[in-house]
Amino acid sequence: MVQLVGPLSKELADSVSSCKILVVGAGGIGCELLKNLVLTGFKNIEVIDLDTIDVSNLNRQFLFQKKHVGKSKAQVAKESVLRFCPSANITAYHDSIMNPDYNVEFFRSFQLVMNALDNRAARNHVNRMCLAADIPLIESGTAGYLGQVTVIKKGVTECYECQPKPTQKTFPGCTIRNTPSEPIHCIVWAKYLFNQLFGEEDADQEVSPDTADPEAAWNPEDTAARATASDQDGDIKRVSTKDWARSTGYDPVKLFNKLFKDDIMYLLTMDKLWKKRKAPVPLDWAEMLQLGEDPRTRNSRLKDQQVLNVGGYSRLFQHSVETLRSQLADKGDGAELVWDKDDPPAMDFVTAAANLRMHIFSMNMKSRFDVKSMAGNIIPAIATTNAVIAGLIVLEALKVLNSDIQQCRTVREKHIKAPVKSH
Amino acid sequence: MIDMIEKEENIISEEEAAQYDRQIRLWGLDAQKRLRGSRVLLVGLRGLGAEVAKNLILAGVKGLTLLDHEQVTEESRRAQFLIPVDANGQNHAQASLERAQFLNPMVEVKADTDQVESKSDDFFLQFDAVCLTGCSKDLMMHVDQLCASKNIKVFCGDVFGYHGYMFSDLGQEHHYVEEKPKIVKPSEETNDGPEVKKPKIDPNETTMVKRTASFCSLKEALEIDWTSEEVKGRLKRTPSDYFLLQVLLKFRTDKGRNPDPASYAEDSQLLLQIRDDVLEALGVNADLLPDSFVSYCFSEMAPVCAVVGGVLGQEIVKALSQRDAPHRNFFFFDGLKGSGVVDYFCAK
Repeated sequence: MVQLVGPLSKELADSVSSCKILVVGAGGIGCELLKNLVLTGFKNIEVIDLDTIDVSNLNRQFLFQKKHVGKSKAQVAKESVLRFCPSANITAYHDSIMNPDYNVEFFRSFQLVMNALDNRAARNHVNRMCLAADIPLIESGTAGYLGQVTVIKKGVTECYECQPKPTQKTFPGCTIRNTPSEPIHCIVWAKYLFNQLFGEEDADQEVSPDTADPEAAWNPEDTAARATASDQDGDIKRVSTKDWARSTGYDPVKLFNKLFKDDIMYLLTMDKLWKKRKAPVPLDWAEMLQLGEDPRTRNSRLKDQQVLNVGGYSRLFQHSVETLRSQLADKGDGAELVWDKDDPPAMDFVTAAANLRMHIFSMNMKSRFDVKSMAGNIIPAIATTNAVIAGLIVLEALKVLNSDIQQCRTVREKHIKAPVKSH
Repeated sequence: MIDMIEKEENIISEEEAAQYDRQIRLWGLDAQKRLRGSRVLLVGLRGLGAEVAKNLILAGVKGLTLLDHEQVTEESRRAQFLIPVDANGQNHAQASLERAQFLNPMVEVKADTDQVESKSDDFFLQFDAVCLTGCSKDLMMHVDQLCASKNIKVFCGDVFGYHGYMFSDLGQEHHYVEEKPKIVKPSEETNDGPEVKKPKIDPNETTMVKRTASFCSLKEALEIDWTSEEVKGRLKRTPSDYFLLQVLLKFRTDKGRNPDPASYAEDSQLLLQIRDDVLEALGVNADLLPDSFVSYCFSEMAPVCAVVGGVLGQEIVKALSQRDAPHRNFFFFDGLKGSGVVDYFCAK
């Protein structure tokens, strides 16, 4: 006769309450997962997350409330879970799973590891640790309305890194610097510009016209000649963008005229590029000042969802440069800013610069809301997708535990039968 | 009632914009505004009810009424995370109220301790959507018939052990929109890029397409004559969960409760008996539902509540926001197999 503990067989219920598990991540999937685990009867749980709570998490990470913004996700998640299951034994780590303290021994202390991550680096790392420790791993992920769950067990299934995963999309330098055709190209350019002016300069993030663009040369031999010429030329390459900007005192008008007028006029001289493409149209600061506010302010949109006119983005460019200039000054000599989508002037700067470039290259301009999505790599997220995936994770966990029980049973039975047979 | 939302406040506050940012980026501002104007009734606050409550409150509906007349027991709170540990003996809805409200202070959450059978017809008409969990078959059919004709969206759902289902009746004419990528013709001016003009799917521009779906009543969905020739052919493709549901609803009607682990022995016997009776009455073979089903339909599995509650919650969000194609009209989930099926059942 089957003995039940709630919905589970007694055998499974015992296995569930005695095993020790690790949950990596206490965000969208993590919160739902922790809830499902304790309600199913898991008692010994360790959870780790390096992040703190943000207001944009509150639409789905239900273990957190507004008053918790800024606090450790792992810590608050543990506290919230204990409120509806005080008998659970939870250890929370406000730390990165990639910290060497969490070595193979650490992983070996668990019967099961469950990922609730949002990035590939951590997933690769946990995958390898679980292989090294030979502990089953349940991998999962969600984005918008979609999600998936996979069980990874050494020797039984393929691991997370067995199949090559698509790499982050990058664009050729000449597309970014010379011939953008989509808003994303302009947004990437604007982010590069931020770094060149205010942040860490990177040779792979040039924003000036690329004279070595193979498409620009009428003869193939010209490409090589142009490349050396630009090095010697000095005008564009020799002086770094940051040094040049500093020399003008980060004057917004001078920056504007160089980036959106002079450099564009230079591009126009590379006439082969514009034979089959619509040529860019340079802007003039004085003309921008003449343009008034766009009269069509639509209240039914979010403030961020409004699209300004080119005059509006010119003014936004000026204001954000001035703000970032003081931020830089406040930080002292040799300071650098790091771009952050949640830092308003940094976001304003990219919105303005990207839109000005979009306008120059005859593209429809985008709202701050849309630019933020693209520049900040924001993945839309809701509670229900995470709820479903976290439910499936626990069901897989039970199957993993169950098969361990089955295996134990099989071994036991074999053991008993063998002596009888040998007679 | 949903169309009246157009007249309501058109402006989303800064606080809402910040909190709902990640979902506005998915389903759009118009959908969020419709949610914000919707009132929902949720009957039954066991494991499944708590999941649906959480999902709707986080989504940002205008108001959610939690209706449940029963008291908290160790069994009823097994898969429930809103009820505090020391609340045994309290009413389900009352006990869940505080934690439910904390999920999102911008939603008006209310608790009602009345028995759903005692509510007048008028009571239901104040809502835009009604979600019934833990209810008897007769009550569900009655409320469905009452609400669907008034353009109130009706949802039903339950979790029995490892199994769960949801049903929806969005009325004869449910209007919604779907977002489709825009196909740019070569002759048009491509505003979003100066490249050579060729027909392509513009990744940056989408368009909203209007659609309509029609649903049948719960009565029509459950009272199918399986002996008729056309329907017999469908039997092979029909998930056994549909028949399991009929058995469990009959148990609930006969015993006034769900199968209880505390009385496993007698309840499992009764379930087998009901299985024989119900399947025979429907005109189908008893071996459509093998005996083993009894060990897996007691109590509520928390992860199954999460899955069914997630799907059900999202269906309610879709219906209220009138965006994206609804599931039509059943979703069955088998937690043992980890399989979910959407299927349409209608006697017509």
